Amino acid sequence: MTNETSTENKVENVIEERMTTEPDRPGEPVPAAAQVRGVIETKDMSVFYGDFLAVANVSLNFGRNQISALIGPSGCGKSTVLRSLNRMNDLVATARTEGEVHYHGQNIYSDGVDPVEVRRTIGMVFQKPNPFPKSIYDNIAWGAKVNGFRGSKADMADLVQEALKSAALWDEVKDKLTESGYSLSGGQQQRLCIARAIATKPDVILMDEPCSALDPIATLRIEELMLELKEDYSIVIVTHNMQQAARVSDKTAFFNVKLNDTGMRTGRLVEYSPTEQLFTSPKEKDTEDYITGRFG
Amino acid sequence: MSVEAPERPTQTSFPTEEEYAGQLGRRQRKAVAFKFFCLAMLTIAVLALATLLYTIINDSFGLVAIVNQNDPDQVVAELGYDPDTTNLQDVSYDELVGLLEANVSSGVGRRLERDQRFYEDRLVFEDDATWAEICSSGEPPTGCTAAPRDHSNVFALVQERVVVPDVIASYPLVPSLLNPEAFEEEVAAGFEAGRFPDYEPEQAFIEWRAWFNPTFLTTPQSSTPEVAGIRTAILGSTWLVLITILFAVPVGVGAAIYLVEYAKPTRLNDFIQTNINNLAGVPSIIYGMLGLAIFVRVLEPFTSGAIFTDGVPPSDNGRTIVAAGLTLGLLTLPVVIISAQEALKAVPDSLRHAGLALGATRWQTVRSQIIPVALPGILTGTILAVARAVGETAPLILVGAASFITTDPSGPFSKFTALPIQIFQWTSFPQQEFHNLAAAASIALLLLLLTLNAVAVILRNRYSRRAE
Repeated sequence: MTNETSTENKVENVIEERMTTEPDRPGEPVPAAAQVRGVIETKDMSVFYGDFLAVANVSLNFGRNQISALIGPSGCGKSTVLRSLNRMNDLVATARTEGEVHYHGQNIYSDGVDPVEVRRTIGMVFQKPNPFPKSIYDNIAWGAKVNGFRGSKADMADLVQEALKSAALWDEVKDKLTESGYSLSGGQQQRLCIARAIATKPDVILMDEPCSALDPIATLRIEELMLELKEDYSIVIVTHNMQQAARVSDKTAFFNVKLNDTGMRTGRLVEYSPTEQLFTSPKEKDTEDYITGRFG
Repeated sequence: MSVEAPERPTQTSFPTEEEYAGQLGRRQRKAVAFKFFCLAMLTIAVLALATLLYTIINDSFGLVAIVNQNDPDQVVAELGYDPDTTNLQDVSYDELVGLLEANVSSGVGRRLERDQRFYEDRLVFEDDATWAEICSSGEPPTGCTAAPRDHSNVFALVQERVVVPDVIASYPLVPSLLNPEAFEEEVAAGFEAGRFPDYEPEQAFIEWRAWFNPTFLTTPQSSTPEVAGIRTAILGSTWLVLITILFAVPVGVGAAIYLVEYAKPTRLNDFIQTNINNLAGVPSIIYGMLGLAIFVRVLEPFTSGAIFTDGVPPSDNGRTIVAAGLTLGLLTLPVVIISAQEALKAVPDSLRHAGLALGATRWQTVRSQIIPVALPGILTGTILAVARAVGETAPLILVGAASFITTDPSGPFSKFTALPIQIFQWTSFPQQEFHNLAAAASIALLLLLLTLNAVAVILRNRYSRRAE
């Protein structure tokens, strides 16, 4: 009702804004040059929880130094897809992944691939900020330590500083590095988690609704940060917030839930397009219904 | 808003205003009644605990009627002092040693001297040649090296060996405070009835006695209640705590970490989990039987220490501290596992995910992120479980704790006794004095448990502060 129309308006406003501020990027299919070589590619990936097929036949190609957003209604399997990209889904005892997930041409689900190594290069930021109950400094140093960081104390201090600066947190915490990570505000904690992920020198950062527990101002800061980070990293973000996807992402994948004949609610990839195209001229009816707020 | 509120139906299932007022009164009365019911239950619990403490303390202090086998006044008079102005305590060191020399058998005297000398420069009971010989032997007694005794030490010896006080009757604390005359009458009546045939009524005197006193804690067991102590039992219990902790903590925490952090919910793991929960409820005497069969009998070469001493066991069978400690460890194990599991489960999964997502292995995550957070809970649960085991009597009886032993345990492979065993044994004696000793030993046991619990609280507070 009223709520839905306002959502629609906002989305369109954002799109318009983007289009006006970036005139060299018209709402047409992105030129071939922008479709950079993929960093992670899923091929026909399906994820089961026990017998339950959570998400089926996902084929996606996430671009290098791009922000790719996964959107869709609750239960559509977007978080499941995200967690399958660095084998975090292995932690769910009943989870099973079929198909292939290629990272630089290597299937991360093939035998002999250690998930520990996968997670080191494909880092993750979670929905709720989850700093360790340790000092700010140790929060960041620990990831490097467990990955065999051999530098001196000064090197480690440099690494911590660099990571905090990359996460735009250094100025706020430089005088209290020994204080607990819990002493920070929610938004600061999330940036600490991002800094922590950066400090292990990953290649890709997965973000699972990183702003859903944050207020609008903190959200804005994280979004700004993502746009900065994309210079050095490839980012895949799951978000409930369509404006956020529109604001930050280069490409957007829309997932939807489909009831199959057995009554199973299985998530499917509906459309994967450059963000502007997806929000302005979606190819699929479902996508259009979703972004205009007719459901979800 | 475009949405209109739905009209309230006139006919509802809710009560009318008047009905509601009446109902509310009834509901509130029920609430108050329930509150008082809970309060009454609490009162019963507190009363039960208070009665327990009252019984123990009542028996641990009070009036006693004592007969000295040698009247100290007479002893002082024999030394040539006026008993009205001089106490036995005031006479010189040399005179006290002289009293011992005159009253103690030479065998006992030599033993006392081997424990600790009386003089730096001369020997009282031993001759120099034998002394030199025993001191140059492989295991010289403590007397060869320790500093000589002092005045208070020798005075205590004189009390114990020369004056020899005999408690002929004792009275609990509360009647002693309220009605001390009744005790005098009771003692007098006892004499009239011929209950103390060895003594004359005028020899007896009445004084206050704290059965729980420093000497009680530091002297070994004895068959005379006046000088009996619980040193051996305290040392035995301490050894048991140590061995129980050394066995149950690594095994229990390790098992808990496996079950929480690694085990997948397979049928086998569910079966193991169920069994651990059930084992926590198995009566302690069953563990005693297990300990007897396994640790005392089957593993005798180990528990008697024989395999460490070339086949010559330090004690003659497997009824040793190790066997009992391992039995208590087994008894504690399920509780330790369960409480450690609870503590580990209380650590949010987000920390595990955070660690693993950084490329840490599971063990690195568990060691650096999970265990530190779970540690206060693990420690508290473990210490409370161990404290529970310290008070166990039944399994110790089965694995063969010695009921009368006067030598300190020399190590994990020696015979032993423990505080609950000592209490159990003393309460089974008919004499009232031993019941007083049992009450005093109960205070010692309770203090030991309180200390363990206090350690648990301190550790918890310390580590939870650190984790914040």
